[in-house]
This record gives sequence, C-alpha cells and structure tokens, in this order.
Amino acid sequence: MAASMALRRELCSLARIFSDISPLAPRALSACSAHRRFNIIRSHLPSTSSTSFHTATVFSSTLSSVTVTEEPDSLFQKVSVLVKGHDKAVLDSYEFFATMAAKELGISISKVYEPHKDTERLTLLKSIHIFKKHRVQYEMRTYYRCIELSHITGCTAQVYLEYIQRNLPEGVAMEVTKTTMEKIPDHILEPMWKDHPVDDKSSQ
Amino acid sequence: MASHTCKTFLSLGRINVPGLGLQKTASRAAYATGLPVNTSAGNKGLPDRSGRGSSVRKPKRDVGEPRTKKMPVDQDWTAVYPAATPFRQDSIPLPVRMGYPVKGGVPPEKKGNLELIKIPNFLHLTPAAIKKHCEALKPMCTEWPSTLDTDAKCDEHFPIKAESTDYVSAGPSVRNPSARIVHLKVKLSSLNLDEHARKKMLKLVGERYSKDTDILTITTDSCPLRQQNYDYAMYLLTVLYHESWKTEAWEAEKTVADMEEYSWEDSPSQRNILDVLVRMKVVGEGEGQDVREQLLGRKEVQEYKDSVTRLKNEGESEDAMLQYKEAVKKVFNL
Repeated sequence: MAASMALRRELCSLARIFSDISPLAPRALSACSAHRRFNIIRSHLPSTSSTSFHTATVFSSTLSSVTVTEEPDSLFQKVSVLVKGHDKAVLDSYEFFATMAAKELGISISKVYEPHKDTERLTLLKSIHIFKKHRVQYEMRTYYRCIELSHITGCTAQVYLEYIQRNLPEGVAMEVTKTTMEKIPDHILEPMWKDHPVDDKSSQ
Repeated sequence: MASHTCKTFLSLGRINVPGLGLQKTASRAAYATGLPVNTSAGNKGLPDRSGRGSSVRKPKRDVGEPRTKKMPVDQDWTAVYPAATPFRQDSIPLPVRMGYPVKGGVPPEKKGNLELIKIPNFLHLTPAAIKKHCEALKPMCTEWPSTLDTDAKCDEHFPIKAESTDYVSAGPSVRNPSARIVHLKVKLSSLNLDEHARKKMLKLVGERYSKDTDILTITTDSCPLRQQNYDYAMYLLTVLYHESWKTEAWEAEKTVADMEEYSWEDSPSQRNILDVLVRMKVVGEGEGQDVREQLLGRKEVQEYKDSVTRLKNEGESEDAMLQYKEAVKKVFNL
C-alpha cells in the first residue's frame, strides 16, 4: 500500500506543521481565498477499528481532533482510480462502494467505465518427461474498472483515497493518477533578461 | 480399498459429512468441505488410560444454536460486521449458496462452504455502514472553490498541470519505482512569450510539444523520488523559458531552411510572379522597384500570395488547390 503509506507519512508531517508557514504570494481569487488544510491528528480512521464493536463511541472522539491550518490546499483537476483484479464480481462490488462513498462525500464523479480485460495464456507440457503432444493450458485474466473524479481538493482527495485504499479487498490492486493544477511560479512570469540586458556569453 | 478408507475415516471419529469417500451414497454433494460440521473430538486418539495427557483431550463444548436465530429484523448490521472479516455462516441470516452444482442439484449451502470464505466479502461495507463512515469523514474534507467550475477557468488561472501515479498492491514490497515519474503539462499560450521566444522554445523542446493542443509535456524520471523529479521538471521549465527569451549572436545566421513557416516575401515564388507580370506589361512600361511595388499592391497578387502560403503551410488539399487555381486565373485574366 505505497500510496496509503505515503499518505500516512504526509499526515504525520502535517501534524508538525502549524500555522508558521506564511502563505506564499496570495494571488488567490477572491472566492478561492478560503483554501484551508485540515490537519488530521489521528493516525487511523475509525472505519477500520476492529477492536470496538460500538461505532458510536469511536466516531465521537474523531471530531475533536480535527485542526485547521492556513496552508493553501492543493487542487486536483482529475483523479483517476483504476482497480485491477481477477474476479469481476469483486470489482463490481468495489465500484458500488467507491461510487457511493464519493457521492456521500460530495465528490463529483465524471466517468465510471470498464476497460477491456487482459488475458495471459500459457501452454505448458503436461508431463515432466516426454509426452510432447499432451499439454495443459492456463490463463490469467485481469479485469479493470476505472473511476474518474474531477475537481477535488487535496484534503478531500487524501481522505477519500485513504478510505478507499483501506477497504481494498484482497487480491485487488489499484493505480491512482492525480493531475494537480498549479499557478505559474513567479520566476517564469517575466524573463530575467529584461532588467539585466544580456551580454552574449560564448556559446560559440 | 473402500472399506479400508472407511475404517480410516471412522477411526477419526464420526465426521458427519455425508458422501465423503462413500461413493454409494451419492445423493448429497460429494465435497470435501474444509470445516467438519460435527466432530466428536473425544475419540481423537484413544482415551489415555495412563492419565498423562490430560491436555490432549479438550472438553467437548456444545455447539449451540446459530446467532442468526437470535437476530432481530431491525438490528444494526454495522455492529455485527464492523470491519473486514471472513464469512461466518452462523452470523449471516441469508440462505446463500455458492459453488459448482452437483449433477441435477443445486450449489452447496453455506454451512461449511469454503468458497464463501475464500472470496472477499463486502458485508462490512453495506450502504448503512458507508453512510456512517462518510458522516465521520465529512469534517476532514474541504470544498472545491465554486468559481472554478469549468475546465476553461481552471486552465486560465492554473495553467500548469503536474501528473503522477500512485500504486497500491500486495506483494513483497510496498514500493513501486514507477511512482516517481512526473509529467508536467503547460499550454504555451499561457506563458509570457513573444514571437521569437515562442519559436526558439519550440525548437528547444522538439518532440515534447504537440501542435494540435498547444501543450508542452515535460516528463521526468531520472531522479529516484517524486519530489525531486517535480523540482527538476520545474527547473527545466524555468530554464527553457529564460533561454528562449535570450537572443544569441549566432541566431542571426538563420537560413530559409531553418524557418518554421513559409513566408512569401523574398521567396522564389514572389520573384517569379513579379517577373512574369513585368514581362506581360500589365502595369505599363517601365522597370524598377516602383513597378514591382505597384504590382505587389494589386489584389490578384495578394490573393496569389495567400493561396501559395496556404499550400505551403497547410499542405495540399482540395480547397487549397482550388483556391490556388482561382488565384492564378485571376492574375492572368483567364
């Protein structure tokens, strides 16, 4: 679970960052000025606590530990979640779970589709010695399911992806492709030669 | 043979699985189920008369009635299955059947069914459970800014896109080396470039630019970490930008072959058409620059220029050839 490990590390490092970082050059839009990042102090979400059987007590303790920092949130134009597995029924159920979770959290789903399956076939000798004419054939099928989400903030993406990945069933793999949007950094806005006229260095 | 196996099985105690190894009673499913339903463990290994292995014999417990009988209809299912657990046939009040059916029969029942245990179940993720989880997760989510609702607005305010992939899978290692690859995409129209800078940038960048979408893609994978690759990609973009604004001395030696687009001025086509028209004496007698300039100002010559430029730049097509034909006819008054 590389991504979930990375996420958890990010959460722990965020816990150390408190509002000391002054936001860089707030050139934000008037409506976007409310970028905030929620600091998640609890290192694991209650959905996976197998120790307690009473959901009520677990949830009440989460709400108190959410903190807000002034660090600007990252924006993802598109997050594409591709799940791969050997069993189509499992992927169907997982798709239902992921789409319902996205709807409950208010994330806009742009497309849910099923790419074609991949089949890898092997033809091997049936016997360990001689009998070349008698073979046995195996095949391994990989089914895919792709869920594309659009216009999602960094915090929401982190929460949603961690929730999804913790509930990933056995034998199912996932690839998450994120497209982050950023402004043009300050050093690319104007060429630096305007203030200091270039004297031709030798490229000759 | 069959009797021998019967004896072996009987010595293990009365395992009440019908049809196991006894081909004659083939009315039930002939499955080797993973869990013996009814074991009298007392007969396992003969009872120890010497009394040394009191730990060998476990006290026999009654099975009791399954939990499903005590479940009320309106119970909270999220309390029965709060986390991912294997299938427990006594806890699930559903008559599920799974497996390949016997000939003329039905799939085997859930009691002692290994197939139901092997497959991952989603009993802990019923809609009620998902709603509860999302209720708890809601405070940690942030809202998307409402003014950025279309892609066009996003591109206008946030033109740089960084794309990367995370991989989640089970295996000996959690890491995936492909996770370090970063693709940086920028639309050149959103950068502050003048004509010369744009052309130089295109020459520097080469294949990474796509003309149809006007997007420059920088892909970096030479560093081991994603953060490093991202920094390197931003550094490359910065260097490209500043270098393309620079004008070197040797750029003055740009020849016609280096030009990106065809320009009609000072081209063989212009010289030819002007020579022909001067010889045809369209504007009257006289040689020299002013005659040529007069010719250039005429509408037919301009049309001819447009059609030739279009042919050279866009390639040959039906419309372009027709336009050229019309222009030539007009120039020569045919």
